[in-house]
Amino acid sequence: MVDSKKVTKLLAEVVGPKRVTDKDFDLISYGRDLSPAKQKLPTHVVMPETREEIQQILAIANKNDTPLYIRGGGTSHWDAFLPQEPGIMLDLGRMNNVLEINERDLVATVQPNCTWAKLDEELRKKGLTYLCSEAGGPAMTVGGSVMKAGGGPHSTAKFGFHGNQDVITLEMVLPNGDVVQTGSAAWPSAGKFERQCLGPDLAGMFLGAEGILGVCTELTLRVRPAVDFKERMSAILPTLDDVVEFGHFINRHVGDEYLQGIYLWVAPENPELFFIMMDIFGYEAEIVEHRKKRILEKIAELGGEIADRAPADDYYDRILTGLTDLFTAGVWHFFGAGSLRIDDIKFLYRIWREELLEKRGYTKAGFGGQVLPRRWLAFMVTNYKEPEEWGELVKMADEIDELTLNGPVVPYGVGGRDGLRQFVASHDTGYYRLLKTLKKTLDPKNILQRGIFIPEEELQ
Amino acid sequence: MRIDEFKEMIYACGRCNFCRGSDFNERCPEVFTQMWESSTLRGRMAIARGILEGQLDYSDEMAERVFGCFMCGRCREECKKAAQIDAIAITKAMRADFVDKGVKIPEGGANMADTALDSGNIFADPPAVHSKWADGLTFTEGSGTLFYPGCLASHRFKEKTKILVKVLQAAGYELDFLGDDQKCCGTPLWISGKVEKAKGWAEDYLKKLNARGVKEIITPCPSCFRAFDEEHPHLLGLEEFPIRVRHTSEVLEEIVDKKKLKFEVSIDKRVTYHDPCEIGRYREMYEPSRRVLSSLPGVELVEMSRNREEAFCCGGGGGVKIMYEDHSNQVAEERIKDFLATEAEVLTTICPACEMNLTHGTYAADVEARVLDVAELMAVAAGIADNEILEPDYFPED
Repeated sequence: MVDSKKVTKLLAEVVGPKRVTDKDFDLISYGRDLSPAKQKLPTHVVMPETREEIQQILAIANKNDTPLYIRGGGTSHWDAFLPQEPGIMLDLGRMNNVLEINERDLVATVQPNCTWAKLDEELRKKGLTYLCSEAGGPAMTVGGSVMKAGGGPHSTAKFGFHGNQDVITLEMVLPNGDVVQTGSAAWPSAGKFERQCLGPDLAGMFLGAEGILGVCTELTLRVRPAVDFKERMSAILPTLDDVVEFGHFINRHVGDEYLQGIYLWVAPENPELFFIMMDIFGYEAEIVEHRKKRILEKIAELGGEIADRAPADDYYDRILTGLTDLFTAGVWHFFGAGSLRIDDIKFLYRIWREELLEKRGYTKAGFGGQVLPRRWLAFMVTNYKEPEEWGELVKMADEIDELTLNGPVVPYGVGGRDGLRQFVASHDTGYYRLLKTLKKTLDPKNILQRGIFIPEEELQ
Repeated sequence: MRIDEFKEMIYACGRCNFCRGSDFNERCPEVFTQMWESSTLRGRMAIARGILEGQLDYSDEMAERVFGCFMCGRCREECKKAAQIDAIAITKAMRADFVDKGVKIPEGGANMADTALDSGNIFADPPAVHSKWADGLTFTEGSGTLFYPGCLASHRFKEKTKILVKVLQAAGYELDFLGDDQKCCGTPLWISGKVEKAKGWAEDYLKKLNARGVKEIITPCPSCFRAFDEEHPHLLGLEEFPIRVRHTSEVLEEIVDKKKLKFEVSIDKRVTYHDPCEIGRYREMYEPSRRVLSSLPGVELVEMSRNREEAFCCGGGGGVKIMYEDHSNQVAEERIKDFLATEAEVLTTICPACEMNLTHGTYAADVEARVLDVAELMAVAAGIADNEILEPDYFPED
């Protein structure tokens, strides 16, 4: 049981009284994310501004056996950053600065709660960009995306999930307060320029761990020159087999793919219409033109037709600033989602069509995905009304998740008890056992993100 | 509870946080000043939902989160993309719930409403003092076109208001003025949540205006403009107010369009324009002032980085100036940074509250520049006012 007043006092001694709150009306704002996960309230919210303050907060949490949860932009879809038990919420909002943009080495160093929009604005002043891939809008943070290894419809095409290639170094505060630098930053006199450098790639241990192994306090990312050309296209392909073939086609030139964005959308009212939006990549006009020509030829060969370009422009232009009409039909839920081989999209599509649309008669969820690089990140997404449709929606989504994850689909995001952690725990793999060992070793009291990714009982 | 009416909207929040934007100082002046998630629209919807579900009660301590909202509508503008939540209507309902439930509200807000009810204006001016700005001007009782300056323009900006009337009269508008009979428009009542007497206030006002034969109201104050044009008909159960209401931005634009004045004095200044929230985002009246400024000789109009629907609040909205003055000044200073970035010499706007708060912002930021009403520049260009009023070292007597 958290001694609330005592913890408030201790936290205030670290950050001052203005950056800690235990007021019910403040706490309630931290109780939900974008998913239908049930409300989970912290006992406190604290806003650190430095690594040292985080170290001291971790010490308080350890000493008082109080779980500590991490909050970025609060836009997670997977119950991954909600307090599974009463505990302290670490709101990293004040740690949101762009620390350095190194134009020579093409790297940028940021604090975790720097938003993608803010980073991109600063980079573009110097003719650079990161090409963020997530479509979460202006509040999504760099740290949040990287710690959950997020991805999306843009630029993951060429560069993979966040953290797949673009994370150069991390600064992490471990549950015991130790500070770890990864990559070339592990060699203090060297600098921040290379991911795989000294021994094992420890950054990989933290990416996608949803914060259970450490608190990220700084990230260095690879950036690149901004592309001056905007060449977007939309098309309709006749069958899903054609979509698969097209996916293979645009993936063949490994590392030099034709596109930097592709988005497949199949609406529930017309499940045979395969609509794709594309963003062509290239630093030179001639290259862009050549790629466009080749893509047009391939679409023609597959019997597809070119559609109005406007939806693609609108979509890709709004990735950082906010897509429109998100909640006009209700709030959101992504489910039946994950990573899978290009050929396996047919498996997920069949689940969507047969199990969801036909068998369950649920006709509000669309089917979508991105096929770059060399795999699908695919999902089903629906709008629903809270509170009246909430319970039924969650039950149905859980059934679909189970069917999906028993197939060739790797979960995208794991989260807490309302996320997908039960599916991960049920697969008693060597991977999972090693993760538990790491967690027990680094965080013996299970302070950090308790109940996220690994159920508490699995660590006892 | 009054928020029951908005239940569907409250539950429509998808928690995307478009309302907050990419940084504390980007969109929402409340999260800029109060920092907590509960200061954002997303946070307020979580609070409202908690209240609807019996999980939370209105409390003294909660008041800062609800009454610290500047009601600038920036979040509502952003939410048009996502869930179409009317942040302003819900915030007003929450404030009224505080009052209905007898929960203590910020003293400044309570006093402002009580003072307006008791004295007829928010400054507790005796009527003769409140209308002193009009000394030396001649009005035409019963002309049908009422010039309605509102409390702030009457009390705080005597010279500016006088200049505005001279401009309108020079352009041929035959203006009536209520003089000592003028009372506040009622905005303090719904801003503070003390709405119990608002309907009666509106009824009395309409009777008074009808008795005087008013066919049109012209006001420089966006709050007064909206009070008569939106709030009064709503309170009275009318589809629209039976009297035409125009903000001066529209009237000044009409003067330009119909060439009612000649502009022969060159302003010779680099000028920027701050969009008042209540005519900008609330009513999408972004262009009239810009058209006026662009028509004046010697005006080089430059835009601040955040303009029109993306304009940052001046800090003067929502009654925050009177309830949490430090927050208000902090926001004004932030907006002054936008002004400085333009390297403009004059900051113009067309709202007395914005003019006051931005002027305070220049003091706080130690910036030597004047904050002027668009009408003042028009007055200089038309030879109605001396161009010394454009200079940073000019101090009006009021």
